[in-house]
Amino acid sequence: MIGEEIDGRLHPLAVLLIARRFVGMSLLPAAALLLSAGTRVIVPLLAVALLVGVPLAVLSWSRFRYRVAGGRLELHSGVVGRKVRTIPLDRLRGVDLTASFLHRLLGLVRVEFEAAAGGGSRAELSLAAVSRRDAERLRAALLGRARDVEEEPGPRRLYRASPGLLALGGVTSLRYLLAPAAIVGFVFNLADDLPGDVAERAADAAAERAPTDPALIGLLAAGAIVAVLLLAAAGSLLVDWDFTLDDDGEHLSARRGLLTRRLVQLDRDRIRGADVRDTPLRRPFGIAAVTAIASGLRSRTGGTALAPVTHAAAAAALLRSVDPLAPDPRMPLVSHPPAARTRRLVRTLPLALLSLGAATAAMVPWAIVAAALLTASAVLLALDRYRQLGHRFDGRRLTMRGGSLLRRWSELDPAAAVAFELRSSPGQRRAGLCTLTLHLGQGAGSRRALDLGEEQAAELMTRLEPRLLAPLVASREAGGGSG
Amino acid sequence: MILRAPANAIDPRMRTYWTVQALMATAALGALVAAGAAIAAMVGATTAAWIVGLAGGLGVLLVAASSLVAVRLGYRHFRYEVTEHGLYVARGRFWRRQQIVPHARLQTVDTTAGPLLRAFGLVAVQVSTASAAGGTSIPGLRRPVADELITELARRAELEEGT
Repeated sequence: MIGEEIDGRLHPLAVLLIARRFVGMSLLPAAALLLSAGTRVIVPLLAVALLVGVPLAVLSWSRFRYRVAGGRLELHSGVVGRKVRTIPLDRLRGVDLTASFLHRLLGLVRVEFEAAAGGGSRAELSLAAVSRRDAERLRAALLGRARDVEEEPGPRRLYRASPGLLALGGVTSLRYLLAPAAIVGFVFNLADDLPGDVAERAADAAAERAPTDPALIGLLAAGAIVAVLLLAAAGSLLVDWDFTLDDDGEHLSARRGLLTRRLVQLDRDRIRGADVRDTPLRRPFGIAAVTAIASGLRSRTGGTALAPVTHAAAAAALLRSVDPLAPDPRMPLVSHPPAARTRRLVRTLPLALLSLGAATAAMVPWAIVAAALLTASAVLLALDRYRQLGHRFDGRRLTMRGGSLLRRWSELDPAAAVAFELRSSPGQRRAGLCTLTLHLGQGAGSRRALDLGEEQAAELMTRLEPRLLAPLVASREAGGGSG
Repeated sequence: MILRAPANAIDPRMRTYWTVQALMATAALGALVAAGAAIAAMVGATTAAWIVGLAGGLGVLLVAASSLVAVRLGYRHFRYEVTEHGLYVARGRFWRRQQIVPHARLQTVDTTAGPLLRAFGLVAVQVSTASAAGGTSIPGLRRPVADELITELARRAELEEGT
């Protein structure tokens, strides 16, 4: 298909963004100078930075051009030396549009090109700022879909996150719950570096005014918990605000974010399956995150997210609309043999029991209690880790589930595997177990079925890839012989 | 035993190659122990020198013995086979690992040979796929055998691509 030819440059306002980058680079040393040398040095320095930075930004803007012609995308740049980056269009995997807060104020978008595996830093494969219209035109030309927008029936909406669901997702996500702790840690770290005894004096002052009234302490603790929950909800809302997933038949487009709005596009052809993940915190609410298993993407956070938070029933429908053959995550799976439970216990218990023994020997009451709690939770965790293990092959899609604190249910097309791997340790063989791994490659990672029974593995491999694997499976009678 | 063993063993000279490697490593370890004992003796800590020398020497002997056993087991349990639809490689006596790479998923086949391996007239064959974890390797084959293997893999990869 011959796309239209495009020869364009960045939006004039992009100068602002480029200049900001130059100034941003000098901001850290400037701040350091300000602290050490005071304003007398910093003002002239800033003036010099502006005098050099702004013309440099203008120059770099004027030298930057992008061209689409002859089946190639070319990025021309360079202030001193000229530089041309050429990407054949068939190596182009995607065109992502993002808009930071500043971009949105100016009505611009940033364009990032996703090239097939390897090669170069991201900054060199992006347009810092172009107008929204230019970006759309460019994307249409690059993805070879220069169709009339009016004629299109419009994309199908597959998923939309409601604010309530996102807030619930935030307060049940360890990542967002721990964010305030990270901030507190950061502030304390900073306080350590403050000159003099400012930090100590502040701590003393706080200690003096510390409440002694139990009711007040309780109130403060409750307040802190509420604050953490609110921050977690806010964090989730900020990142995933109005998350929408649209399907135009060829691509899935995920848009999200409150201040910075991101658009990530994913070729439907590159989807190999999907993961549904949840945690013990989320399980009582029946909510989970759904991500696509896609090849050819450079790994990055949220790049393949289909839904940050969704209910189990909605997840099943979403999976089916992305992959018509996808099984329902709520469907029961084939459990792994009881020996797998023993193995989970054997692998978690020794440390916990050791701590319990040490605490008992030392006769420290609180340590005994703590060690007993640790042991009990280790047992519960091991039992749950076993309970979650499961697999199923319906002839077209392989389903695997594992993990407890981070539970992952995956469905994938076994034909997508670039390699199969069967492993067994001496302990596993004694228990008649093994681990089967499917390597997917191109950034899609690997998925494994932990502690399968040997019979199960043999049966599964025979059915999974009858031509490739079945001839290798040892016949039952011959099995169990030499080792 | 879930999968049958692959048909081919690697070149028997790999035993000698790995043994030489193991002996070189053990010799380095032994030299370290000897140096430690000598330094202790020079400083005048005779007891320490004896302890270092005896314990270290025993350790070195143990390492040497176990690596010799490991070499033999490693050789015996490393097997490979080109089947109709894939390359099948099995390794390990205790931690067993069996990999199957479909011919259609093969990306590159490389042969490498360090100076020592070359001295034995052997090459190592590396097979890579789109997954960093999904590749495999065969550590020691005679050059003609390796060439034959590579030709065979290339031919089958082409056949699979067509279907």
